[in-house]
Amino acid sequence: MNKELLSLRDVKKSFGTARAVDGISLDIMENEFFALLGASGSGKTSLLRLVGGFETADAGAIFLDGRDISHIPPNRRPINLMFQSYALFPHMSVAQNIAYGLEMEKLSRADIRRRVEEILETIRLSDLAHRKPDQLSGGQQQRVALARALVKRPRLLLLDEPLGALDKQLRSAMQMELKRIQLQFGITFIVVTHDQEEALVMADRIAILKDGKLLQCGTPHEIYEQPQSRYAAEFIGMMNFIPVRIAGNRLIAANGREIRAILPEGLTDGDAAVAAVRPERLHPNPENCANSLSGHVSALAYHGLDLQLHVTTSLSPQAIMVRLTADAMERHSFSIGDTVAFGWHAENTRVFKA
Amino acid sequence: MAGHSQRRWMLLIILVVFLFLYVPISVLFALSFNEGGLPTAWTGFSLKWYGALLGNSDILQAAGNTLFVALISTMAATVLGTLLAIGVEMRRRKGRFLETIIFAPMIIPDIVLAIALLSFFSLLDVTLGLHTIIVSHVVFNLAFVCAVVRARLKVFDWSIMEASADLGATTHVTLRRIMTPILFPAVLAGALLAFTLSIDEFIIAFFTAGASRESITLPMQIFAMIRFGVTPEINALSTLVLLVSLVVLTLSQFFNRQRHARP
Repeated sequence: MNKELLSLRDVKKSFGTARAVDGISLDIMENEFFALLGASGSGKTSLLRLVGGFETADAGAIFLDGRDISHIPPNRRPINLMFQSYALFPHMSVAQNIAYGLEMEKLSRADIRRRVEEILETIRLSDLAHRKPDQLSGGQQQRVALARALVKRPRLLLLDEPLGALDKQLRSAMQMELKRIQLQFGITFIVVTHDQEEALVMADRIAILKDGKLLQCGTPHEIYEQPQSRYAAEFIGMMNFIPVRIAGNRLIAANGREIRAILPEGLTDGDAAVAAVRPERLHPNPENCANSLSGHVSALAYHGLDLQLHVTTSLSPQAIMVRLTADAMERHSFSIGDTVAFGWHAENTRVFKA
Repeated sequence: MAGHSQRRWMLLIILVVFLFLYVPISVLFALSFNEGGLPTAWTGFSLKWYGALLGNSDILQAAGNTLFVALISTMAATVLGTLLAIGVEMRRRKGRFLETIIFAPMIIPDIVLAIALLSFFSLLDVTLGLHTIIVSHVVFNLAFVCAVVRARLKVFDWSIMEASADLGATTHVTLRRIMTPILFPAVLAGALLAFTLSIDEFIIAFFTAGASRESITLPMQIFAMIRFGVTPEINALSTLVLLVSLVVLTLSQFFNRQRHARP
């Protein structure tokens, strides 16, 4: 991770009265696998289309390698986009689809042939070179779309929900495949996704967008462990939220118990807030933890690699979710109605404004 | 069995409908080859009435006029109708009003359109002739071409236009290499349909042709001849018009289907 490749400076874009992108600044490094994560309507696709050149920003600037590209049309940007619908040309074969972009660069026929063959090899579609797109499966179409963009050796590859149309099994295989290809080609990837798991698995860094604004940007670990807002905490993974009241510099839950946590700035005495803790941070041995709860099991779900419990307590009106690993499962046995106690550490507790 | 007799009734009805539709045409077709020329007696097979057509300078001139009108109005309607279809389909919001206005020339009764066009031309003080027939044919043909091309555009994935630009193509190259090959069959089908409609169109041509003998089209010629009874020559002429229309219409369907088969 060396120098910045793409820089967005206070980029704004509205469609009618809707502010799709509302003042986003962001730096994306060379060779980075970057994910734009957000719910639908968060502005992530609009942002991608601005970078691709399919929309023009109302304000702000976009720099690539330090050069302002805000007003350069898509066909003259060294950036390629893999469309969500794949957008393969239906009247051309796989090989013709892939060659199209190279023909636009006015390369020699021999060069084009060689590079098309190379890339077909990489994506393992050499046998299907003469098929038309409608004779391919969804997964094959996706690989052709990827090859068609990659063969141009862009500085930056944009991928709009690249795995959205694939089934679950194929999706997790393609997540690893995309990472492998990104490393092999040494091209910066920006992926747009609404799937938080996909972003966590693939990306070096993630930006969470909400209502056209950048909520938080960081590594998957930072995003997961140190969410900066209640929305981010809720959007990524599972999270328990316990309503609390600020009393002095202490947090008091509904049942009067104190919850120990690292308090953020900006909360004042008497404010309502929520304490957040991830289900996997709750331990079945509360003795050496700063915080503890007791209650009874109201639901349990066995997932193979973990066991999820819902515990009803006086701490919170909502059941507390607990995730136990296979090891912990074997040492304790749980059934519905059991009285249980769990504990967690102060450093695993985050506090947000209610 | 009830089901069985019901089926027999259905078949009978279908048969009657088809007889009703095609017997008159078949009679016309057969009589055009009747040596004696009388509708009452078959006296043997002959092509002499087709030969007689070739010797009739009025008919030849009318046929020439019809071809001229059909060709020019088809070309104009194809270009305009295709552009209209692209323009309408590229709009993100399509109102009911716009839809209705585009379809109107297909639905308005020919006689109303004919009178409207005639009034329009006399209001502008335009001399009537072949040129006014051409303009009038463009008016309704445009709607038909537009409808055929729009049907194709409804299943067109617009993102491939962006994909083409993304891969480095200029707008010109994208139109030539992406849009044209995909739209061409539909445009051709629309053009062929427009051509057949123009060839046998009577009412609008009759109203907008003016008084000159120079601007008589084939359907008008047939109408003029028929006032003195149905001659075997008319049978032959009608058969030819029918054949041309059928061939062109079949071609139109062929081109349109070929592309639709592949979504």
